Amino acid sequence: MFSFFGRRVNFEMSLCCFQRNFSAALPSLVPVSLPSKKETHLWYVLPDEVKSETLLNQYLEILSPYEKESIYRMHGHQLKKSALLARALVRTTIARYQTNCQINPRSLKFRKNIYGKPEVDWQNDDDWCPPPLHFNISHTSSLVACGVTVDVPIGIDVEEKQRRIKNNILAFAKRYFSHEELQLLASVADPEIQHQEFIKLWTLKVGQEAYVKALGRGFSAAPFKTFTIWTRVETTGDFQHFEALDSEASEIVVESSDDPENLTNNWKFALLDLAGSHYAAICVEKDNSIGGETNAPMSLAVWKTVPFVEDERVSGTGAVVAIGGSVKQF
Amino acid sequence: MASVAGTTSLCMTSVSCSLKHTQGRISSVNSVSLPINGKSFPSLRSRSAPRFRVSCAAKPETVKKVCDIVKKQLALPEDSTVTGESKFAALGADSLDTVEIVMGLEEEFGISVEEESAQSILTVQDAAELIEKLMEKNA
Repeated sequence: MFSFFGRRVNFEMSLCCFQRNFSAALPSLVPVSLPSKKETHLWYVLPDEVKSETLLNQYLEILSPYEKESIYRMHGHQLKKSALLARALVRTTIARYQTNCQINPRSLKFRKNIYGKPEVDWQNDDDWCPPPLHFNISHTSSLVACGVTVDVPIGIDVEEKQRRIKNNILAFAKRYFSHEELQLLASVADPEIQHQEFIKLWTLKVGQEAYVKALGRGFSAAPFKTFTIWTRVETTGDFQHFEALDSEASEIVVESSDDPENLTNNWKFALLDLAGSHYAAICVEKDNSIGGETNAPMSLAVWKTVPFVEDERVSGTGAVVAIGGSVKQF
Repeated sequence: MASVAGTTSLCMTSVSCSLKHTQGRISSVNSVSLPINGKSFPSLRSRSAPRFRVSCAAKPETVKKVCDIVKKQLALPEDSTVTGESKFAALGADSLDTVEIVMGLEEEFGISVEEESAQSILTVQDAAELIEKLMEKNA
């Protein structure tokens, strides 16, 4: 501990134990154990549940100057608020997963990988090994979510179920989805259900893109059109769209018409109905190791949180309903 | 946003961003209180982006059309401030909105935008310039 005194005091450096002296006024976060390699954690905030001025100010306090600046450039109160909550959620969530000492959420630094995917920029200390955390955030104006894994990349996306699109769904699908996906959507007679299926597909694709960015790769030429997301019923091996499925027995797979590196076998998806209002897609790496169960369900724990105030474990409750992919909530 | 008219003084605040110069002049710094829920956040300054002179900027009519399409897609009020410098993300456009905006632009201008180009569009200006480039190709 005394070796820190010889270093220049710079508040931006995450000398985590040293930081504790500066963080006396910081409210506490309930610590959580790191997910195991096979587990995925999901944290979400409902902006409507965060009304306190004081609390919003506390969140603002833990942000970097650059983040604050970005937030102030957003147009309008609601956008500022959800952008603020997104940054606050990431910082507080990562800070919960303590290893040897308390991490001050304010001291975390972030950078982007070559494809624009944000990552934690751990300031490496001699005595401190940073936790091998991966995270991804996604938000709408009414829900902010952060997925966390250890050792393996993660991509998530959340979309409002009722979100309207201006264009005709099939015209949109023709332009941006693969041929097979267009066929699937076109075969749905009920416009409401077609709309739902569309949003689910979109959510999955965006979640997948986030995952691919996390791998440190971008998509080549025409990303969305070259990947088809199918849900395959395990027992019969038939491909179907989501509506026809019993989610317990399904697996979401991706088929690529343009994939020299054969990435498609490396990931697994989950599609959730979250908080009754959103679809959430989670994409993580499959465990293809020897002795690993390739087709094991995604082990998922979900918390609803108001950082610094309260956390509620909601996995297995009505707030989290798996509607696609093989998911085991715990 | 309230602006402090006529001020060209440079304030060094804790928000350190490098200022870019245009011909040795430094853009004015707006000092504002930005309210959330009607109350102001204490002493935070917002700095407007420096004004660059861009040599091959898109025509104002193109920029205006893009602004209109964006306002419509994002359901922004008619009098909201959307300019060439407006960033889609700051206006609240998510990935679906951006894709829909691109579709709207393709329809309006009779062009076809490729995925990679679409991903490089960050501001209204970017979109307008890309449109004119594509229209030139078609001509």
